[in-house]
Amino acid sequence: MDELPEFKKSTLEVLRGPLEDRSVTISRVNATLTYPANFMLIASMNPCPCGFYGTDDNKCNCSESAISRYIGQISGPLLDRIDLHIEVKPVEYKKISSDEKEELSSTIRKRVNKAREIQLKRYEGLNIYSNSELTPNLMEKFCKLDESSKQILKKAFETLNLSGRAYGRILKVARSIADLDGEENIKKDHILEAIQYRSLDRKYWKR
Amino acid sequence: MLSKIKSMSLEGLNGYLVEIQTDVSGGLPSFDIVGLPDIRVKEAKERVRTSIKNSEIEFPSRRIIVNLSPADKRKEGTFFDLPIAIGILLAINEVRKDTLEDFDSTIFLGELSLDGTINRINGILPMCIEAQDLGIKRVIIPKENALEASIIKNLEIIPVENLKEVIEYIRGDNKITNQISENCVNLRQKSLYNFDFSEVKGQETAKRALEIAAARST
Repeated sequence: MDELPEFKKSTLEVLRGPLEDRSVTISRVNATLTYPANFMLIASMNPCPCGFYGTDDNKCNCSESAISRYIGQISGPLLDRIDLHIEVKPVEYKKISSDEKEELSSTIRKRVNKAREIQLKRYEGLNIYSNSELTPNLMEKFCKLDESSKQILKKAFETLNLSGRAYGRILKVARSIADLDGEENIKKDHILEAIQYRSLDRKYWKR
Repeated sequence: MLSKIKSMSLEGLNGYLVEIQTDVSGGLPSFDIVGLPDIRVKEAKERVRTSIKNSEIEFPSRRIIVNLSPADKRKEGTFFDLPIAIGILLAINEVRKDTLEDFDSTIFLGELSLDGTINRINGILPMCIEAQDLGIKRVIIPKENALEASIIKNLEIIPVENLKEVIEYIRGDNKITNQISENCVNLRQKSLYNFDFSEVKGQETAKRALEIAAARST
């Protein structure tokens, strides 16, 4: 969903159910029907109506209230259900003009496929296929943390004021990062990277 | 005479078994469909009548009643055309059950054209999944849906192109097999894109986040 705040608020809030349950239940007079709704939500938005809020040189000319109204279109609970938040900064001229070769899609695909295979193998016979489907029970088994990672997560929890939902989601993301690295156990770096994808709302939503 | 044949319907994305009961008896010529049919099912009357006529079989000018059981569920869609037509042909003894093995474990699905051609229908996959779960042996479906249905195992899939072919198949004059399932369908064809990640300069975090997202969801 491009330009997320331009959608109607009621439309956006409806996403909460299916994002969590992976199904949609529609009740009408003669029937209640449940449809599967297993999807990946990718959304993008500007930080404010003019699009410059938060950039380094701060060219933004929106009023404080306009920014809160714009950002407020996305509610906390919805934001909480999005696992990876990233800020896309303008690319420097040096980067655009450089001839440096970036990573090819095929290389990335190889890594992703490998991570998927690891997951398929690990969850064989458990009736799930990927990290995203892990239940709390299984998470305990497959997302074990060492002592230092636990400390980091604890600290992040206290300083970032994370929700219980965020806890599970951070673990799952860390599990995927570990799979991409081909690691059997979640390491410190993995959990750090996963937490980093959760901190954007600090900057814009909880100012 | 009364005939009963099996078909399927959809409730949301779940298939369920429908029995098509057809009675052809004396009296003033009429053709009624009961069992909560919607407008598309009701219109099947004209398609069935004409396609039977155009398959060189005389449409009985007698009193015809078709019941779609369970009668308390609303039926939608055009896939009842074929089973209704076969139900009538069975009731007037144009075809017989005993010429086809496991007739009572056969599901009929398909939309008819006026010339008897069988057109593709929607929702074949959930219906075939349910058929498989119910232990149904065979489904007779439009040829254009055969590829989709081939995914289901343990189900004999008979792709058909027109009403005449179905009649010949039931009579045992024409053996039809599903070629597609034997060739093994590969639905996961390699996709080609015009864009490559290497064309995106910078934005490493964004690319990394997409990679993680791709690695964890099915």
